[in-house]
Amino acid sequence: MRPVVDGLSILARWLVGGLFVCMGLSKALHPVEFLKLLRQYQLVNDPFLLNSIAATLPWFEVFCGLLLVAGIAVRGSALVILAMLVPFTVVVIERALAISAAQSLAFCAVRFDCGCGTGEVFICQKIFENTSLILLSAWLLAGYGRRLSLRFSLFGQDTLRRAPAATINEDA
Amino acid sequence: MERQRQLRGILLESLLIAAAGAGLAFAANALSPRGLKLARDYFPESPAAAVALQRQAIAGTNAPSPAQEATAAVKAEGFHAIGTAQVKGLVNDPGREEGLILILDARGPKEFEAGHVPGAHEFYYYAPENYLPTVLPLCQIARQIVVYCNGGQCEDSRFAAVFLRDSADVPAAKLYVYVGGMTAWRTNGLPVEVGDPDSGNAPGSN
Repeated sequence: MRPVVDGLSILARWLVGGLFVCMGLSKALHPVEFLKLLRQYQLVNDPFLLNSIAATLPWFEVFCGLLLVAGIAVRGSALVILAMLVPFTVVVIERALAISAAQSLAFCAVRFDCGCGTGEVFICQKIFENTSLILLSAWLLAGYGRRLSLRFSLFGQDTLRRAPAATINEDA
Repeated sequence: MERQRQLRGILLESLLIAAAGAGLAFAANALSPRGLKLARDYFPESPAAAVALQRQAIAGTNAPSPAQEATAAVKAEGFHAIGTAQVKGLVNDPGREEGLILILDARGPKEFEAGHVPGAHEFYYYAPENYLPTVLPLCQIARQIVVYCNGGQCEDSRFAAVFLRDSADVPAAKLYVYVGGMTAWRTNGLPVEVGDPDSGNAPGSN
């Protein structure tokens, strides 16, 4: 059973990381298009702040994705990715609700470019994708995906788990 | 104890990743030839244009069309909003060949390459520094400057006109925004040119 879980965890790490690299790059290579899409959310009015988010978020996603693919600081990366995915999903749903109300469309019939790096998608499909990514990230945050990692943790927070029982008892 | 240490480690890791990621992201944007200029206001909107858009939204019982919204915003900026027939007239006007009428395409380079209004000069609004050396002297000669983008929800033609007015001292009275843009031009079956302005090349003629 253990090898199966390990294998699936590695796949999860590569899938989440790979998707973040791809989606980040597609936005980083077309920053003006991403800036325009980001503006439609009306989250920030200040030009400097809006430009800063549009300019850095895609590269930030690429960075986090690469860490996951390489298996560096996996749990920290998973936490950062979760901290991005959850609010992204909320604002995308809010925007879809607004479009649904404005165009008198059924919620799942709403199709738009959410600025996620995947072009136009149906909102229900997007919610499914994001929920899957959230669950996989939570799985990685729980400590899975250790095998084939370059450096699973930066500060050795997982070494205790493998430490001899005697050492732990001494601590206690 | 162990769990606390693990949690602290994960939090520390995530903070380090956030800091390093942000630093690298700013550096990548600065180094990228497509990077955004952080201090620039890419979406300049005068309070008058914002108010006009709001009024337009409140005035009718039905929601205003994108063309109505665009026209209201263009007029609020002090520019002229013009339609396809007027642009067609200006394209065929002998004054255009003398440089008295200038047509600017505010869309991206790929869209310009795919086809533009005959005689239009490329003026990608998001990288104006690449085009100003060519376009600015033409603006100084021209009496009427038509700016267009894709039409519909596209605002780049208005923003380009605002940029020319505010940053290049082109008088607002000279600036005409073709609200329907390239979409309306194509819908009306009007000729499209590829390549340099007045090259006369039709799409697929290479």
